[in-house]
Amino acid sequence: MRLLSTLLIGISSGSIYALMALALVLVWRSTRVVNFAQAGQAIASTYIGYVVITHTNNYWLALPVAIMAGALIGALSDILLIRPLNKRITSGPVKEIAPVIATLGLLGLIRSLVGVIWGGDLKQYKAPVSINGFTFGHTTIPFSRFNLLIVFTAVAVMAIFAFVFQRTGLGLALRASAFQPEIARLAGVRVDLVRTVGWAIAGATGAIAGVLITPSTSLSPNSLDLLLVLGFVSAVIGGLESLIGAAIGGAILGIGLALILEYVSTSLAFPAAFIVLMLVLIIKPSGILGSKAGRDA
Amino acid sequence: MLKSKPIRFLLLILVAGVLFLLGNVLPDYRVYEGATASIYVIAIASIILLTGYSGQISLGHGALMAIGGYAAVLSRKYWHTSGVISLIIAVLAAALFGVILGYAAARLRGPYLAGTTLALAVGLPSLANQFHFLGGEQGLNFDIGAPPKFLGSNFSTTKWYFWICSIAALIIFWLVQNLLHSRYGRQWKAMRSAPVSAALAGINIARSKVLAFIISSGVAGLAGALLVMTLNLVTPSEFPLSLSFAIVTGAVLAGIARLPGAVVGALIIVAIPDLADQIATKIGGAERISANLPGFITSLLLILTILFAPNGAKIGKLVSHGSTRT
Amino acid sequence: MFAKRSSKFAVLATASVAVAALTLGALPAQAFNPRSEAGVTATTIKLGITTPLTGSAAPGYSKVPAAMQAYFNYVNDNGGVYGRKIQLTVKDDGYIPTTAVANAKSMSNGVLAYVANLGTANNNAIAKSPVVGLAANHIPSIFINTGYSGFADRTKFPTMYPIFPSYIMEAKIMGQYIKENFAGKKLGLIYQDDDFGSDALAGFKTAGVKFDVAIPYASGSQSAAAGAGWVGKLKAAGAEVVVMFGVTSATGAALGASAVLGYKAQWILGSVGGDATTLKALGVPAAVLTGSIGASFLPGTTDTKDEYIKQFQDVNAKYNAGASFDNNVLVAMNSAMLTVEALRAAGKNLTRDSLMAAIEKKGATFASAAFSPILYSPTSHVGYSGYWFGKYDPSGAMLPDGGTYSLYTTDSGAGAVVKATIKRPAMPAKGLPNNS
Repeated sequence: MRLLSTLLIGISSGSIYALMALALVLVWRSTRVVNFAQAGQAIASTYIGYVVITHTNNYWLALPVAIMAGALIGALSDILLIRPLNKRITSGPVKEIAPVIATLGLLGLIRSLVGVIWGGDLKQYKAPVSINGFTFGHTTIPFSRFNLLIVFTAVAVMAIFAFVFQRTGLGLALRASAFQPEIARLAGVRVDLVRTVGWAIAGATGAIAGVLITPSTSLSPNSLDLLLVLGFVSAVIGGLESLIGAAIGGAILGIGLALILEYVSTSLAFPAAFIVLMLVLIIKPSGILGSKAGRDA
Repeated sequence: MLKSKPIRFLLLILVAGVLFLLGNVLPDYRVYEGATASIYVIAIASIILLTGYSGQISLGHGALMAIGGYAAVLSRKYWHTSGVISLIIAVLAAALFGVILGYAAARLRGPYLAGTTLALAVGLPSLANQFHFLGGEQGLNFDIGAPPKFLGSNFSTTKWYFWICSIAALIIFWLVQNLLHSRYGRQWKAMRSAPVSAALAGINIARSKVLAFIISSGVAGLAGALLVMTLNLVTPSEFPLSLSFAIVTGAVLAGIARLPGAVVGALIIVAIPDLADQIATKIGGAERISANLPGFITSLLLILTILFAPNGAKIGKLVSHGSTRT
Repeated sequence: MFAKRSSKFAVLATASVAVAALTLGALPAQAFNPRSEAGVTATTIKLGITTPLTGSAAPGYSKVPAAMQAYFNYVNDNGGVYGRKIQLTVKDDGYIPTTAVANAKSMSNGVLAYVANLGTANNNAIAKSPVVGLAANHIPSIFINTGYSGFADRTKFPTMYPIFPSYIMEAKIMGQYIKENFAGKKLGLIYQDDDFGSDALAGFKTAGVKFDVAIPYASGSQSAAAGAGWVGKLKAAGAEVVVMFGVTSATGAALGASAVLGYKAQWILGSVGGDATTLKALGVPAAVLTGSIGASFLPGTTDTKDEYIKQFQDVNAKYNAGASFDNNVLVAMNSAMLTVEALRAAGKNLTRDSLMAAIEKKGATFASAAFSPILYSPTSHVGYSGYWFGKYDPSGAMLPDGGTYSLYTTDSGAGAVVKATIKRPAMPAKGLPNNS
């Protein structure tokens, strides 16, 4: 029973990590950038969703609005920041790391804007479905309809992404633009546009993650920071090259953390993430589903 | 890029002289900022070595600074080591950890290493709360002692810290610069820009990478110990994730493979929040605005600097001279 | 060749430019006289505060400076302190000690005293830093915003004046309350895994309370998932009475999880995490909060029959741009009122030393909203020393047991917990201090 509860808790939190990880892997696979601004895009979209909810009291209206906001912010991030950056820094040791720092700067920028517009106080909105755990007779398990919704969403997003990436023209274009932009251009792919689409989709995904996690905690300019770190760790665990891996990574991190907190010590939350990551990377240095040699598009 | 040693040495002496003058002329608060900037120079140098030269990313150097800081404090507390010895122990302890981290890093590619170091930065400092002898949140004291008597009774502790930090920064600058011009530096540059050729030329890539990690860790450990010195205290919250990010940001602003740029990077990291604060105070306005404005301005200036600083293209040419692939 | 010259030039040029930029900054090079009346002119008194305004520790606490400034503006509009207007310099430290020390240093020449600096680690760093020289330069740090017991030590922290009852006191008093009301029940405890929590553990130990299950959490790691784990352990241990001695977000996580999991227990909320407005903002259902026990040393924020609450709400509405009146605002304004009284008591010849002497000699007589006595004296830097207990009603208001406030007081050491009669000084007219 204790183990079952722990696993359920782990799956619930893991599914949120998975959503963030999916967004990060999407940007990575389509533009080779580690997008720390993901948390910024997500928090801004979540606040926009919050505004919709407070005015209409309709969660199901707020979610698509937030998604669209996330897509828009994601696209703008690419157009206004990453594209100029790529044009200016075409080679050299700074090429890998400059986009990381630039997205960090963007994260800080968006966060301060959010703080100016909405202030730093904690905000909240209710989940659209029950957050009370399912009850079987006398026992209530730590898994509610809302948790089910989140897990379902994470799986659905993963499936849709995997399908789009592997089976559609858009997916092919995304992969090609990241792998060999020059050749893709020659083949008629509008590389810049395709990359922006990738960022937009990732922004939308981050928005979903933010809107889904907020009912269980609260909303403030920094409330998604930890999620960004855990999402990134999940992505690494899953192997940054695989979208399915991102979801699996999220599950592993979620369950691993829950197990450590339950059976070892409740005060080990932060070292635990590192421990889970190390355990995976020791066995598989490129993550669970990452490929070892070379780079697969 | 061959600079003759004597000229570089003279240059450092010159800079030392300028710093000495500044320490006497500037107000106390600026001197304190100078000490902070010197610490950043050292930390940024460690990233330039690691990322700019050997091509390995670390988003967790704050954790290495923490190791150095705690090592210095513990050695002084339990073994009563002098200030200098404590700093040296900090370097050794961090370097030792760098051995482990380096071997792990050799197996991990770019973003995987980034993720690992990120998790380390988040997870390591909080361990101080687990073990009582590490002092927990309240931390442990670290007193490097008052300035020596011969400097006069009016010699403020702030100036003393500034001297120690800037001399340390100059020494590290000298040592790292020599290292980067040495055989190892050339190996790292070769590894970065043309790994296959480098391997064919007989360079043991894995060992070279680990060496870079060890040295980078040791240098970061020194920065951590100096940080702890200026605060007279070591606590986990001195090493938040934002510290690791700030160091890497400073290195990028420096032009990541350009050691003299470390000074620029450090000064920008220290000056921009200050500047942003002054602007925010002048603009004033509601609490919401004045609280978030410094962060906004800082982020904006960083983005603009990265976009418009000509570091990238130039550095590419400087470092990859001779090779066809970048 | 070119590279050598250009990088030599680069280093020199950059060094000079950066130095010039920093030197041209706003701070003038003042000759520093530690005993002078820094921060005081004929018309103004400058006070400084360093506190988290941004970052993950900011929610809630970021309201404190604005609330204090609101009260100060109210006093300024009514004559100030002997004609001097109070200005509060506010600095954001993001809850990082390095930044807090730098902030304190940047203000050290320009302010008379620090007020309501927040955080155990930050205050500790500021006090220990020879760069700031808190003790050496006689800089008062008054009414600090933390309950850590160590700061009342006059030998270690000679210029610091804590005001809140310490966490040890709170734990001891809670322990007494538990012994009186819940003897024989199974007890659970959730606490933060740092000095905040270790103070609490020390207090419970002195009170002789043993918990059947004690659950630590790392600060910053609280979440719904973590809360579910805690409740699981509480359930497994069969805890009937649970003390939640954590910050508000942790309290919210624990209470939220117990609602979700259908776990029923008698919750006792520590004062740090007990603000009902914030808990509601965190989504804690009224059903769970109702009937929970809370502790406070101030009146409830909704008790409009209380003259202090009414006055502060009035000031809040007029001077604080419509911020919601929660516990953070109440505490801030209360500390601001104490500050004004301290400044008045120091007399027209206002210096750092006269301010500290005034707090020590006359602090025990200051009027404030708290029901606890103030224990400042030439030999004591302890401020408040007591708590009252109440139950949350469905609207979130904390109502005292039995309808009237009854106070427990104790010390941070081995002294007993006693029930004290409340002798709260009447509020000065219109909430404007008139002491001398």
